Amino acid sequence: MVWHLKLCQLPRRHLAALSTPMRGRDQHRYNTRRKVQRPFSMGTDDHALVRNAGPLWGAATRSPFLDALAAGDLPADALRRWLAQDYLFAKNLMAFQALLLAKAPRDCHKPLIEGLSALDREMAWFEAHAVRRQMDLAIPLHSIGRSYTDFLMRCAYTQPSPVLLTILFGVEAAYLAAWSALAPSGPYAEFIERWSSADFAAYVAALGGLAERHPHEAAQEYFNEVLVHEREFWKMSWEG
Amino acid sequence: MLHDILWTANFDLARSCLAHPFVQALGSGTLKAALFRAFIAQDAFFLHAFLKAYALALARSDDVETLTSFYELIKGVLEELKLHRAYAAELGTDLESVIPNPACRAYTDFLLRTAWHTSLGETVAAMTPCIRLYAYLGRELALQCSPHHPYRRWIEAYSGEEFERLAGRLEALLDRVGADTREVRDSYRYALQCELDFFSGALCS
Repeated sequence: MVWHLKLCQLPRRHLAALSTPMRGRDQHRYNTRRKVQRPFSMGTDDHALVRNAGPLWGAATRSPFLDALAAGDLPADALRRWLAQDYLFAKNLMAFQALLLAKAPRDCHKPLIEGLSALDREMAWFEAHAVRRQMDLAIPLHSIGRSYTDFLMRCAYTQPSPVLLTILFGVEAAYLAAWSALAPSGPYAEFIERWSSADFAAYVAALGGLAERHPHEAAQEYFNEVLVHEREFWKMSWEG
Repeated sequence: MLHDILWTANFDLARSCLAHPFVQALGSGTLKAALFRAFIAQDAFFLHAFLKAYALALARSDDVETLTSFYELIKGVLEELKLHRAYAAELGTDLESVIPNPACRAYTDFLLRTAWHTSLGETVAAMTPCIRLYAYLGRELALQCSPHHPYRRWIEAYSGEEFERLAGRLEALLDRVGADTREVRDSYRYALQCELDFFSGALCS
């Protein structure tokens, strides 16, 4: 894996939302809802964990929610539900990443520390976004999000750092792939562009490299479990 | 008392558990043996997590009285597991290699996350519903339990005085270390919801 540590200031699912939009990209190139290729996955699809996940990978990275968003006909309540629940997910991921950092060996520190710092900025971005949309973020996690974050936190305390690196890679890689598959057009083009950015892809690639450098015999099992949770989270975002 | 407030406030879920088709079939004795066998295996997996949560709570206790209570409660779970092992031996199930179903996994992840990551009060609030619910279910099902009921031992274990004593002990702990906060209420209710989901998961085995 190629390292792009200087780009690792925008980790975690949404951190790319803080990056500069790709204004220079030719919008007319994207005239379909889904791209034929995923130019920003930067080798994620080739990662052994992804290859060996089988059909779970596709199930975790495609959703009617994303299709509707790309088509511009996403119901407003679904968008609000996803925004609020993803914010609550991110709050929990902050604790997960902090616990991972505490356990991780020295060579993992830089990307993980930058990841935490960026996650803090992301939380602020979400909170500002919620104010603009008059959304209440002090709501309970949906049971699907709760199961996902309970899984993350249980693992954070009971599993060794190689497993936790794999889990974080799974969370981020699936998210990158989900957004990178969409054509950045329509009312949510900005969302799509930001969450499929090269910066975010570089962070995911760095995590993938760490997961390779620190293998664990149970890595695939946990990676697959992340994908099941991702699949369910998208389903919940769409169906409520 | 906090334990009374929480049980009463969430009694709707306890009633739903009693009315659940799995529990009703267990109570009437019509539950298929294969479903009961799978349920015992899932419950044994759950009880291992429950044991760990007690141990984590014990480690977080300061006074001898609280430490002793958790010690007694741990012994209670070990006794409960003996019942499971006896059933497993009779039914030919291996309790050491159980793969949890999604409902069981969600419940144990919730318990362990709570025990590792939150306060002692929230942890006890997450654990009390299980033991109080089973004492309630045992008592209700005992009303229709005949001497030749196929699951009589299970019903007697949960309707017995010893189990009621354990439930009371844990509730007394909840009153002592817990406070009537949003987190404690949420923990208690979610645990009961997990119980209801657990029975649904058992029906899908």
